[in-house]
Amino acid sequence: MQANLKTPLFIAVLALITFTLYPWACSATTKAQAVECDVHAGPCSAVLSGCEVSLDISPKPVKAMQDLTFTVTLTGEKADASPYVDLGMAGMNMGRNRVALKPVGEFVFRGNGVIVRCPSGRRTWKAKVTVPDRGSVEFIFNVIY
Amino acid sequence: MSSTETVFFILFSSGFTVGFGHCLGMCGPIVASLSLSSKGRGGSVLLPHLLYNMGRVTTYGLLGGIMGVTGSFTRVAASIASFQKGVMVFAGILIVVMGLAMAGWIPLGKVFEDYYNLDGVLARGFRKLSEARSRGAFYPLGLLLGLLPCGPVYTALIAAARAGMESRTSLDGFFLGMGLMLSFGLGTVPSLLLVAKLADLRWLKRRDLIYQASSIIMIILGVYFVIKAIRY
Repeated sequence: MQANLKTPLFIAVLALITFTLYPWACSATTKAQAVECDVHAGPCSAVLSGCEVSLDISPKPVKAMQDLTFTVTLTGEKADASPYVDLGMAGMNMGRNRVALKPVGEFVFRGNGVIVRCPSGRRTWKAKVTVPDRGSVEFIFNVIY
Repeated sequence: MSSTETVFFILFSSGFTVGFGHCLGMCGPIVASLSLSSKGRGGSVLLPHLLYNMGRVTTYGLLGGIMGVTGSFTRVAASIASFQKGVMVFAGILIVVMGLAMAGWIPLGKVFEDYYNLDGVLARGFRKLSEARSRGAFYPLGLLLGLLPCGPVYTALIAAARAGMESRTSLDGFFLGMGLMLSFGLGTVPSLLLVAKLADLRWLKRRDLIYQASSIIMIILGVYFVIKAIRY
């Protein structure tokens, strides 16, 4: 490699790495509470800012690569905006897979999504439920392939 | 920036980040194998890899278009699942063959050095891949390997299907889905080009030992790919 190409190449690689690591660095500062649960048995629940948040996924058992319905139920004061669910895998970037929820009751929100299958064979997924102005909670569970 | 432009940007940046975080594990071995197997060729390693990536991104675009028309990720994914499994087996065998050829343990090794006289469909196919003047073969290879099952690609396809569902006409859905997947695919290109460049060891003076070690790693990786495909 010619010497005059080394400096721009080094800068380009450094920029690529910085750009790649930036979202991880940001997410580390806002780490959500993580709760392990058996999503096949029933809804997963956690307490967030003094209010209970529960997530149910149907149909059961919860399988990858099929249409799923995500239902989030909140307690306490009525939320100003609808919560949403981000699906991902612990320790592996699977891309942005956000399930938008719509209100179906005063404290109940529902939306459709898909948990994809990872060829690595790993089955542990996380559903990060974010309630605007209250924070986020991560439910960690195994899916069936 | 409008909401549509935002989605395009999200898909592109998603492709970029998963490229470095995820694709390196799945497509990295294939890309590295293609680079390593070009030890007998002259010319830049970038051209065949650009063609390979163009093929891969074309497949993503077409899949995105189909998702956009149907508006259903699961239906399309189910219909191509068995074919994807076949592609995964093919990719594994390809890596094994390239590893064996690079080590000089099978006659096909000559395939990658632009001279050999074997006949048959498989041999002709690998010869096409090997010939410096037929680097265009990397484009169809990319088209095929773009079908490899991959979690982040599935995630991007879900976005394409959703966008299609919200489109006014099927044609709008097709072009929106295609555009989104092209954005995602283009985002994944830099990481794989970087792997291709790093795995190109032709500038090393004493590289025979590294090639021997690399060929063994390629064979192991290829077998691992095939096992994963069978279990998929």
